Amino acid sequence: MKSLVFLEHHGGALEKGGLGVLGKAASLGDAAGVVLGEVAVAVAAGAGAFGASRVYASEAEALAAPLPQPRVDAMAGLVEQTGAEAVLFASSVLATDVAAGLAARLDAGLNWDLTDLAVQDGGLVGKRPALGDTVLVDVGWTSSPRLALVRSGALDPVESGGSAEVEEFEPAFSDFSTLATLVEQTTEAATGPSIEDADVIVAGGRGLGSPEAFALVEELAAALGGAVGATRAVVDAGWYPYATQVGQTGKTVSPRLYIACGISGAIQHKVGMQGSGTIVAINKDPNAPIFDFCDLGVVGDLHQIVPKLTELVRSRA
Amino acid sequence: MARPIDFPPPFGPTDAIGVPTDPPDERIEVGVLIVGGGPGGLACAIRLGQLLDEHPDVRERLGDVPVAVLEKGKQPGSHLLSGAVVEPRALRQLFRGRLTMADLPTYGEVPGEAVYVLTRRSAYRIPAPPTMRNHGNVVVSVSELGRFLAEQAEALGVAVLPETAATKLLVRDGRVVGVRTGDRGRGRSGEQLSNFEPGSDVTAGVTLLAEGTQGLLTSAAIERFGLQGENPQIWALGVKEVWRVPRPLRRIVHTMGWPLRSFAGYGEFGGSFIYPMGDDLVSVGFVAGLEARDVEFSVHDVLQELKTHRLVWKILGGGERVAWGAKTITEGGYYSLPSRFNAPGLLLVGEGAGLVNVPRLKGIHYAVESGMLAAETAFRALQRGEVPSRVGALDPYDEALRASRMWKELYEVRNMRQAFDKGFFLGGALASMMTVTKGRVPGRALPTHPNSGAPLIKTGRAGRYPAPDGKYTFDKLSSVFASGNRTRDDQPNHLELTTRVRRPVAEAWAWMCPANVYEVGQDLGDGMVSVAVTPSNCVQCGAITAKGGRLTPPEGGSGPEYTLT
Repeated sequence: MKSLVFLEHHGGALEKGGLGVLGKAASLGDAAGVVLGEVAVAVAAGAGAFGASRVYASEAEALAAPLPQPRVDAMAGLVEQTGAEAVLFASSVLATDVAAGLAARLDAGLNWDLTDLAVQDGGLVGKRPALGDTVLVDVGWTSSPRLALVRSGALDPVESGGSAEVEEFEPAFSDFSTLATLVEQTTEAATGPSIEDADVIVAGGRGLGSPEAFALVEELAAALGGAVGATRAVVDAGWYPYATQVGQTGKTVSPRLYIACGISGAIQHKVGMQGSGTIVAINKDPNAPIFDFCDLGVVGDLHQIVPKLTELVRSRA
Repeated sequence: MARPIDFPPPFGPTDAIGVPTDPPDERIEVGVLIVGGGPGGLACAIRLGQLLDEHPDVRERLGDVPVAVLEKGKQPGSHLLSGAVVEPRALRQLFRGRLTMADLPTYGEVPGEAVYVLTRRSAYRIPAPPTMRNHGNVVVSVSELGRFLAEQAEALGVAVLPETAATKLLVRDGRVVGVRTGDRGRGRSGEQLSNFEPGSDVTAGVTLLAEGTQGLLTSAAIERFGLQGENPQIWALGVKEVWRVPRPLRRIVHTMGWPLRSFAGYGEFGGSFIYPMGDDLVSVGFVAGLEARDVEFSVHDVLQELKTHRLVWKILGGGERVAWGAKTITEGGYYSLPSRFNAPGLLLVGEGAGLVNVPRLKGIHYAVESGMLAAETAFRALQRGEVPSRVGALDPYDEALRASRMWKELYEVRNMRQAFDKGFFLGGALASMMTVTKGRVPGRALPTHPNSGAPLIKTGRAGRYPAPDGKYTFDKLSSVFASGNRTRDDQPNHLELTTRVRRPVAEAWAWMCPANVYEVGQDLGDGMVSVAVTPSNCVQCGAITAKGGRLTPPEGGSGPEYTLT
């Protein structure tokens, strides 16, 4: 299967979400990356290490601002040029816009909110959670190319160590595509390391007892070089910022190690972190649902355990 | 004794009334505006679409958008929940000459029925009371029916606008001129986020409120135009689950009695329904009046308790829950109906207007029928030479309602719900006499009492609820998840209530709410506590409005995303 993977970049580096999709696509067939916008050419080569056989890049002026329509033009042109059978996106505000626009432009089918991809009988099949993430259904397409949006954080990048040829191209833009202009772009100030990209997350829940106890979580996270996460309950209570909320209505994360401190493990939280590598839970309630799906559970008082754990990690560092 | 009514919300119905504020060229003008994409609103939209197809001249005069339906849910059907066994006569009439019942998304006619009185360990089958006989009626998911009706309406040129909440009724010079839709993209304290979009004034010749149970604008209109009925309105709360079952169920089942306690002083009135939806799905729910007095009374937990009965286990055992939801049901009946169903420029339709037959456990067909009657009145009022905002121009709707079979049926059961204030056994006996005499006993109107006025008691009700095991019995939070609710957390609180109350009131709210929205907060001394609120859990059932607070619509698209309920 021949696919094009839309890769976003930020601050000179490719985003993890797109690279995760790229790695999956490469395991299913020939996958080419597409990088658009400022410094695209310089950034593009990096995709080779994550499975791209080739990377198409364009720094055309119309692509400078993060607007969808010019990207739809660029992607549509590439689909025609390469005869790609699938066009894959990692979910983001921009990617969702581009995918929807491309679907309309090519009169192609788009499946979204996918958590995995597979090839059956030579064609792409998507896995999509349904009924509140309780079952996975297979979704297919009735026409080509097959467009897919993958849920953010669902697929991890896989370093293949390969390299890719970067091909710079000049998209043809339609008049109507360049009518919108960027008036203003604002950035929300980030606090601490981004939890979506962290390898280690230490998360705190209501079991901490007070906002001050978040210091324990922060210290452990710092000792492990990880980020701090929070549950909805504590974000709601104003103990910690919304940007750190993990779960159904917050971030979906998949770090290698997730340490849940004082978190009961309600399903709303679980669906945001169940893709983590190793899940460690510390909770004083032995009946907490989190003990049903963690890899290592500690029943006990986190106020005693977490500082000792931090000390231990520091002493070995 | 503490009563929720003593802690009124900082919000009255008329706070939801305003005048148009957008400059005239920015208002959205439509011909007929329908608030609510349920069976009532959509039946009205479909009937109007049919009439406008037959009269292109009238369609022409109504502009680019002759008929619009505002729906606060993610899509039509997202906020619809019912049993439901539907009497098909109104739907047949709506689609006469166009579609048959076989074209509608139903699970077929009721295959058979059984009514049981339960005790903890036994089930006694009784003959179905006359009001509960369902021969010829069909089983539906009202959520699926809503989606279907919306498609039918759109095919007739109706604009159905989901994710759009109506937050204010626009009234000018004593006439309803439209509604204002809610803002989107506000943060928790009301600040504008980067994706902020202000609401709009939507103006119309006729505005039709089909908001269903606990409609905010309907209650505002009733207050503003003095349309209160003889009795105060009351509500029940229904919680239901849809199960995938290993064995088909071949009849509909209703139960009375256990797990409710029959002593009148507890105020526990209600029962369960178990309906087959085809061969592999079963809908199971519990409905109980919101006058229940024990602070620990929780319909969600009573439903879990019911499922532990052998009778229910035989149906659901080995199966899997696939959906959950909750909604209040308007129960006041005939004497709680508004004194009029129209005001200048305004029509009230369906359950929001109180058109529910409680003894028959039905209201969907009344919603459809009143929607059609409203459509016909609106259509006539929009013809050349008539002005819909003229006082009396919409009176034919009231006349049509009063001449309908629904009116006669509601009148015959006018006192039946109230009889059960006297407890299950005496109430049952009284109800039988009312049935035999077609409502002539007791010869006068029995009163209803506001749900929030019942003094709270504590009798250890919660000790009876089973501990949730996450497989057969469930806690509230995982149930909220099963409702499809994924409401954005950082939006303003849409629940208006006093957050400093007597402890029993806070406890009652916490137990009552099926969605874990309220928790007892800090002790403030003197028997007072704070109430902690998690608005994003809310499935907009409306119980808080019945019980002393006020549900208002959150940002459009919030709340549950029902598909099967």
